[in-house]
Amino acid sequence: MKLLTHNLLSSHVPGLRPGGGFPLRIEAAEVRVRPVPFNAAFVSRLVPRLRWDALREAAESLGHPSELPPEPLPDYEANEEFLRRLHHVLLEVEVLEGSLQCPDSGRRFPISRGVPNMLLTEEEA
Amino acid sequence: MAAAEPGRFFCTAGRGLEPFLAQEVRARLGATEVECVSGKVFFRAAAAPGELRKLRSGERLFLLLKKHSPLPVSGNRGKMLNEIKGLVIGEPKYWLDIISVWRKLHGHEGETDDVSQENALALKRKSEEETNTTSKRQKMEQVRAVLSEECQVEAGETCGAPERMSSQECWIESKTSSEFPSKGSGENPAVNEKLSFSFRVSCRCSGVIAKILTSQEVGRAIGITLAKQCGWHADLRDPDLEIFVHLNDVQSVVGIPLFRLPLANREYIKTAGLRSTVAWAMASLAEISAGALVLDPMCGLGTILLEAAKEWPEACYWGADISDSQLEGADGNIRTAGLMDKIELLKTSVKALPLPSESFDSVISDIPFGKKFKTTNDAQLLPDILQEMERQRDDRKDQHLTFVLPVIARVLRVGGTLVLLLSQELHRRVDGLTKCAGGDSAEASADSNSRAASSVDGNSSSSAQGGGESILSRCFGSLVPEGVHAVSLGKTDAFIHKYRKVSAPGN
Repeated sequence: MKLLTHNLLSSHVPGLRPGGGFPLRIEAAEVRVRPVPFNAAFVSRLVPRLRWDALREAAESLGHPSELPPEPLPDYEANEEFLRRLHHVLLEVEVLEGSLQCPDSGRRFPISRGVPNMLLTEEEA
Repeated sequence: MAAAEPGRFFCTAGRGLEPFLAQEVRARLGATEVECVSGKVFFRAAAAPGELRKLRSGERLFLLLKKHSPLPVSGNRGKMLNEIKGLVIGEPKYWLDIISVWRKLHGHEGETDDVSQENALALKRKSEEETNTTSKRQKMEQVRAVLSEECQVEAGETCGAPERMSSQECWIESKTSSEFPSKGSGENPAVNEKLSFSFRVSCRCSGVIAKILTSQEVGRAIGITLAKQCGWHADLRDPDLEIFVHLNDVQSVVGIPLFRLPLANREYIKTAGLRSTVAWAMASLAEISAGALVLDPMCGLGTILLEAAKEWPEACYWGADISDSQLEGADGNIRTAGLMDKIELLKTSVKALPLPSESFDSVISDIPFGKKFKTTNDAQLLPDILQEMERQRDDRKDQHLTFVLPVIARVLRVGGTLVLLLSQELHRRVDGLTKCAGGDSAEASADSNSRAASSVDGNSSSSAQGGGESILSRCFGSLVPEGVHAVSLGKTDAFIHKYRKVSAPGN
């Protein structure tokens, strides 16, 4: 699971407050960093779609605290250094084993071989 | 007909994919003289084999040798056979030209290492050959299966195809020098030296002609004559050259396949799920642009995602499924294809996607049916999807109902595209819903997109331009139909439905 994916995922156990269940807390048992070819335009296009605070928090929890500024830099499209850092955090850092915890209900969703299992049990759904 | 035109090709296509292929050869190869008939697309293009190999919506690609109107049919079998032989074989010199063209293309194939790649492929997936869909499909498949088994056995050998050919040269020389003194020798002696091959004639007769002569009879007659006249020897197992003859009520076509394996066999797909050509066609409708976020919420083995990510790599792809075995298969496929950068997997049910609203630019999915239907836990729910859609307005608050399509629609951004593959049954029910809307569903105004030509009926009419909002779009929550394409999946037919989200639900 890349942090880009984490940025999209939320817990969907029934009964959460509106907008709840996000961001999921990462409990990583195994993290891999794998180089991915950098494409500035591509990363740039992702910026407006990101939930920035959640991304920073996630990066921090995985030990990449200083890589991202508190918010996207105003002229980020032209800032290769910024885009490279973001690229690294979003696409190169992967959680292989661990779990995601719902901030509201405490429900844990396991991550196994890089695939988060978000399936609810029949009782839950 | 004059000597072979190096730039004329035809490609076979699964039923319903011809318009996609026609569009693709224009877009990818800048092809001209594009002509669509049932099951085939003819075109002219100045393209190297490497480019031709990239065609994604076709099955097998042929160098076009001859294309004539259908042969006149008479009761006289001997006369007809003679006419066929005359048509196919013609002047000996003709074949010299053909062979030199074929050599050029094939030599190129060797250089680009395509041959060994193909053999590696054959090793991997003998049982997964996709074939053209004809009434002979099953039979063909058996033949193919045998063929690819041979490829497997002889893979090492076939990789060394050039050596094998050179060992035949002495045999060739004695034959060809006497019988083919003409052309070629001046401009390219090297080519002339290699003028003999082993060959095989693959003949397919249908329509009126098939009532008089069988494909085997015609194939044998052509084969014997060619062997005699050109000094080639027949090799049904592993010929250097295959000559395809298709005779039917529409036309008489002769061609030679450019590649050993069908284009539809992707070297990057380890385990095929959905037909690769159909998956590509679906992705091509989704209008995936750079930076797009794309989701397949019922991804199975991930075929659609693989086809999409290979063709449109500057996008991010997610695949979700509830089945561990499918996800493992998809994971293996993604690794084999080297697309780990592009595609992420999630285990989740499409009924409750843990993803934000309005977040994806495209959602593409093969709504499971047929075999898959029985193996997924969701199976029994799927036939109910459309019923649920009909009830959705009233029952929106009912948490126990599963609204698969509304959930899909939710995660799609306004302006985004939804491309679904539906079984005949689901298609009919969606169809019925659209018809109920009345008014605007009469005749589809011709879509500017040329592919709309393949729309099966008036359902491609856009309710945006019509007066009434269709029931369908209301059910889906502001999804507007943008075309239906009937395609063949071999034994079954299916329908690609495209929708666009025009507003957020509730607006």
